[in-house]
Amino acid sequence: MSAFWKDILLQSRSRALALSVCLCLSLQVTSANVAAIDFQRDIEPIFQNHCIDCHGPEEQANQFRLDRLANLLSGGNSGEPAVVPGDPDASYLLRLIKHEEPDREMPPDGKLSSDEIELIRGWIADGARTPASYGPAKETIQLDHWSFRPLHRPRVPAGNSAAIDWLIHRKLDQNGLQPSPAADRRTLIRRLSLVMTGLPPTPEDVTTFLRDDRPDAWQRLVDRTLSSEHYGQRWASHWLDLVRFGETNGFETNRERPDAWPYRDWVIDSLNEDKPYDQFVRRQIAGDALGDDVGTGFLVAGPHDIVKGKDPKLGLVQRMNELDDMINTTGTAFLGLTTGCARCHNHKFDPISQRDYYAMQAVFAGVHHGSRSLTPSRETKQQLAKLDAEIADLTEKLKRFLADESTSNSMPRPAVNAVSNEERFEPRLASVVRFTIKKTSGGQACIDELEIYSGDRNVALASSGAKATSSGDFKHPLHKLRHINDGQYGNARSWIVDSVSGGWVQIEFAKPTVIDRIVWGRDRQKKYSDRLATVYHIEAADGENNWVPLASSDDRRPFKGVRSNTPTYQFESHPEADAAQGRAWLNRLRQARSGKSSLETSAQVYAGTFSQPGKTYRLYRGEPDAPREPVGPDTIDVFGSLNLNEDAPEQSRRLALADWITDATNPLTPRVIVNRIWQFHFGTGIVDTPSDFGHNGARPSHPELLDWLASELIQHDWSLKHIHRLILNSHTWRQSNRPVAAAMTVDADCRLLWRFPPRRCDAETIRDSILTVSDSLRHDAAGGPGFSAFAVQLENVRHYHPKQDYGPDDWRRMIYMTKVRQEKDQVFGVFDCPDASMVVPRRSRSTTPLQALNLLNSRFVMQQAGRFAKRLERESDSTSRRVTLAWQWCFGRPPSEEELSDSAAFIGQQGLTQFTRALLNSNEFVLIP
Amino acid sequence: MKPAFDRRQFLSQTASGLGSIALASLLQQNLAADAAPIRPKIDPARPFAARATHHPPAAKNVLVIFCSGACSQIDTFDYKPELVKRHGQPMPGADNLVTFQGQQGMLTKSPWEFKPRGESGKMVADLVPQLGELADDMCFIHSLTGKTNTHGPGENFMSTGYTLDGFPSMGAWTTWALGTENENLPAYVAIPDPRGTPQSSVNNWGPGFLPAAFQGTQWSANKPLGNLAIPAGTSEKTDRATRRFLKRLNERHLEQFPGDAELAARISSYELAAKMQLSVPEVTDLSSESKTTLREYGADDSENTLKAQFAKNCILARRLIEKGVRFVQLFNGAYQTGGEGVSNWDGHKKIHEQYSKHGPVLDQPCAALLRDLKRRGLLEDTLVVWTTEFGRMPTFQKGASGRDHNPDGFTAWMMGAGVKAPYSYGATDEFGYKAVENVTTVYDFHATILHLLGLDHRRLTFYHNGFERRLTDVHGSVIRPILA
Repeated sequence: MSAFWKDILLQSRSRALALSVCLCLSLQVTSANVAAIDFQRDIEPIFQNHCIDCHGPEEQANQFRLDRLANLLSGGNSGEPAVVPGDPDASYLLRLIKHEEPDREMPPDGKLSSDEIELIRGWIADGARTPASYGPAKETIQLDHWSFRPLHRPRVPAGNSAAIDWLIHRKLDQNGLQPSPAADRRTLIRRLSLVMTGLPPTPEDVTTFLRDDRPDAWQRLVDRTLSSEHYGQRWASHWLDLVRFGETNGFETNRERPDAWPYRDWVIDSLNEDKPYDQFVRRQIAGDALGDDVGTGFLVAGPHDIVKGKDPKLGLVQRMNELDDMINTTGTAFLGLTTGCARCHNHKFDPISQRDYYAMQAVFAGVHHGSRSLTPSRETKQQLAKLDAEIADLTEKLKRFLADESTSNSMPRPAVNAVSNEERFEPRLASVVRFTIKKTSGGQACIDELEIYSGDRNVALASSGAKATSSGDFKHPLHKLRHINDGQYGNARSWIVDSVSGGWVQIEFAKPTVIDRIVWGRDRQKKYSDRLATVYHIEAADGENNWVPLASSDDRRPFKGVRSNTPTYQFESHPEADAAQGRAWLNRLRQARSGKSSLETSAQVYAGTFSQPGKTYRLYRGEPDAPREPVGPDTIDVFGSLNLNEDAPEQSRRLALADWITDATNPLTPRVIVNRIWQFHFGTGIVDTPSDFGHNGARPSHPELLDWLASELIQHDWSLKHIHRLILNSHTWRQSNRPVAAAMTVDADCRLLWRFPPRRCDAETIRDSILTVSDSLRHDAAGGPGFSAFAVQLENVRHYHPKQDYGPDDWRRMIYMTKVRQEKDQVFGVFDCPDASMVVPRRSRSTTPLQALNLLNSRFVMQQAGRFAKRLERESDSTSRRVTLAWQWCFGRPPSEEELSDSAAFIGQQGLTQFTRALLNSNEFVLIP
Repeated sequence: MKPAFDRRQFLSQTASGLGSIALASLLQQNLAADAAPIRPKIDPARPFAARATHHPPAAKNVLVIFCSGACSQIDTFDYKPELVKRHGQPMPGADNLVTFQGQQGMLTKSPWEFKPRGESGKMVADLVPQLGELADDMCFIHSLTGKTNTHGPGENFMSTGYTLDGFPSMGAWTTWALGTENENLPAYVAIPDPRGTPQSSVNNWGPGFLPAAFQGTQWSANKPLGNLAIPAGTSEKTDRATRRFLKRLNERHLEQFPGDAELAARISSYELAAKMQLSVPEVTDLSSESKTTLREYGADDSENTLKAQFAKNCILARRLIEKGVRFVQLFNGAYQTGGEGVSNWDGHKKIHEQYSKHGPVLDQPCAALLRDLKRRGLLEDTLVVWTTEFGRMPTFQKGASGRDHNPDGFTAWMMGAGVKAPYSYGATDEFGYKAVENVTTVYDFHATILHLLGLDHRRLTFYHNGFERRLTDVHGSVIRPILA
């Protein structure tokens, strides 16, 4: 990629050029009647008298001025072009002065005369000529905001971590402050463990570190910690907050997303293997193009409103909201830019126009919520090929054992089953598909969803404009015709035909579509297997009503009940040795089949589906029913271009954006991520507004340090662990945390880092720490689907009831707790745990009585206090030894004399469980020191 | 160590102490002085302490009565003689009108008769006769308009000012700004219907991006506050001893961190928790209520047990207001135990049958609550707000006997501190379909409630992820004509 980021000045782009060409043409055309309206004689005085006070050199209300041609053409904050030369009807200025826009009547203190309005109309119709003093049609924009400038690596008389200290100490010095001395080793290892792994250190780790007298003992400990899998498990939660990752849809139904978890594992693994950050970003936007599918879980990690009404405008607004979520999350997470502001009008503070917003929308316009089958890995493909060969071989060998009825040579397809049946056929153009039921396993046939695919996209969905009709519907609240193509599975979202003797259901597409596959089932949720269509045929018609068969049950094995979908073999009539061999083959065949099906079915991930989008339009005031000009896929104009055509292939759009975001000359991406890392180390970033690096955001407290870290990131192949290492090995990080009265008066919030600022652990770290000291934490249960904090009531609208009893399944690390939107864990949720409804770049940190009540009285904590007490009993018979052990596990240090005697006395009176209950509630236990 | 609260303090310290770090262009957005954000000064050790208002308030507390499911204005408070006259005829201009569930049938008058009530003669339907009798104390807004016709987003919009999930609720904004008058009780209580939670569930009382401390505490007569009771097997005496031991641990630890506000705040949060353990059961215990009171509310109704349960929630609401809880949200209607009108006001298909059940559950207990508040003088300081997520159509749905969603014109009313009564503001068209006179938005509605609490909705802002967020987004103006 070429360097998109120009130093300071931006050149005009193709769009502006096109505009200038139009302008020239219109000028030529109108030159004949140029005498009719003279700008300086007829128009300028009107502007001077009525407009220029607010929209001129002194003031530019709504960022609009009438004395610059470029601004006349581009318009103000509304995003509407004020003047479109030659086209008065498209000129917003005219609408405003004609008082056709409610609440925006201009001038506000009285309407222009109709003569004046007519003059302006004529001037626009004539090509809107202005004198040279009004400047060119496109002006260069100065990008002088600090974060938009190229990275500038400062010259620092020290390398590596010492550079951090040098820059921090210089600022302290300027403010009359000194750094604190280094913290003691016990504090350091506890801090390191809590910050980097989210778990307290074991007493053994503490002892080993205390005894390590090698000069690089700390560096070794840092390296060990960074190579622990617990690092990814801790830091992934920061990332998942930031990208609003949830495992339910949110909104009123709040349905589960059982296929969403692989994205969580992908983030954890990416961090643990130190995937270069640029790759990490690229794969989240366009992983499907880069052989890393799961990453695009990012795009659809946000909430999704699946309740679609019949009002078409509502549907459009919902779709706009989905895309807005993707644009916003991409803008804030990677670039620290609040692009969402430009949905309804030009950004008020940053150089992001409304048109830029819709250019970004065009990048994501083909992304849809949903699961998709992953491209199988090379290994999986090899395994599948091997299994297929084995299945073919065994089937052949077993042929002679086949019971009479199925000795034919042709290989029939498996019998229908209640869960899911696939019909594949040559791609063909169809405008309507009909599924005709001839026979069922009993009663009227039920189908929970009829999916018709065009590649990866289910085109039968009502939400994509397809219409369902039928020969007749069974009347029942759970079973409705609209359920056949509502995208939802299960008995409660199914359709039943009205007649036991069969009938049909058909799907008519919004427009003729190429289809190649149909998938249907009785109950994808595997609870019901009755009412199965066993004999059926499927046909399609093109626009002219020519029907052709697509698939039928004729080439399937006959349906013989729920269990039997493999042929029957008969061994008894064969000699014993042959029969034994046959049975062994059959056994092996079954294993191979089940191996194959698990390889094939495990690969659905909620990572979005993609389709080629239609045109994207700029929407006036963000209203879906007020489209303006079409906008092609692109990034923010002043920062560069993706150089794509308006109809560029879907995937290429995302890939181009990903390339642009991670281009080495883009200064925002590295600055934003090193700032986030800094924030999670020290509690506050160098920039205090981590997702807003624009004009409205905060300035960096240490701009040179930010740039130094950002350039280190790029120089070290975008390694996040490198940045961690630099920070962790600095004195700044290893300082004491103790307050210093003099420093408190100057810098109470410790923005200058005269000490390491201590803070309360977040919800995950508290819960995981409790499980660690009680010896309950399931170290063996990392990865995979999460565990639930709720009993789920399976209504159309899901209800989540907090669990009342906990067992080992619940004792995994909290990052594996299924993230239910809108609901929070009943004990730890109140510790400022976000619910994934919104992106959260930094959690709030509050202290409330409800937190105290939860830690003191909840069944969860009491159970763990009990287990902790039992652990102490197991370890030792002596009270003082038990106290010492408890202190080491909880605080990483031995108790003082006073603490020991107080504790022993307390245990004597109230017992061990009350003692452990108190420790789990203590300030020291929940503090990052 | 600095807690999440008190960004203001942080900014002022930085500004005075460290001029060289130009941190906060946030406060320098060329905003006029009268539009600059006013951030509450929150003491980390007492996050719920009462705080100053922006201007003298008319109301100290708010009680929101929320009828979940979209309670029909056509069948309650918005009387339209023309609808009665044109009953059974098509609605002009509705031929191609598609609302949430589809096409429209005929204009249909309410199955309940409207009658003049009180001295004002306000017409209220027989569905809610006892509430009707209080019409002289009510300030109706008949011209509310919403932005969505879907329940979840609609409830979000009414409770948080945004149709999307994840924004702070009105109660969270209020308690973040004002704290509470009684720190021994939660500052903000949400009382779900006995049948369960409303459609957008806890979003209705969520903290959004405000500190989690300001979320509504879920608490109802049949479902007490969680984790309040001392754990089974622990005696009160032991519990006290454990707290004392814990306090000693924490105080010894604090010696190393003199002046650390967050650690000190944690210690005081345990003391506050202990006070709550005493005061919360006291408020929940309705045994001190007289038989007359229970009867008046309908809490003793053994035939309509649902009404009796809701009545107990109404009594709880009064007790909370009485004790100075800043913000109480009382829900009538749930989604959990039956959607689409079964246990809420979503009367699409059989509105007569369904509302005949819901009307009596709401009417007597709610009217008793209002009378009780008035008798005890609590309406002097308390603003009562009755609302729902949006309205319903004056037509029946095609092929059904109920009304579809309608966000274009619906009714809410207020009562008590700061509002005119009897008073009716705004109007829908002749059928009750679209707001046409003094059209009012939910933003205006919110701006007005905040105004009555002494808060300027334009200046009550919280910086989140690049935005100065408000309850009213960038919209809304106070509905001045309804102010007393």
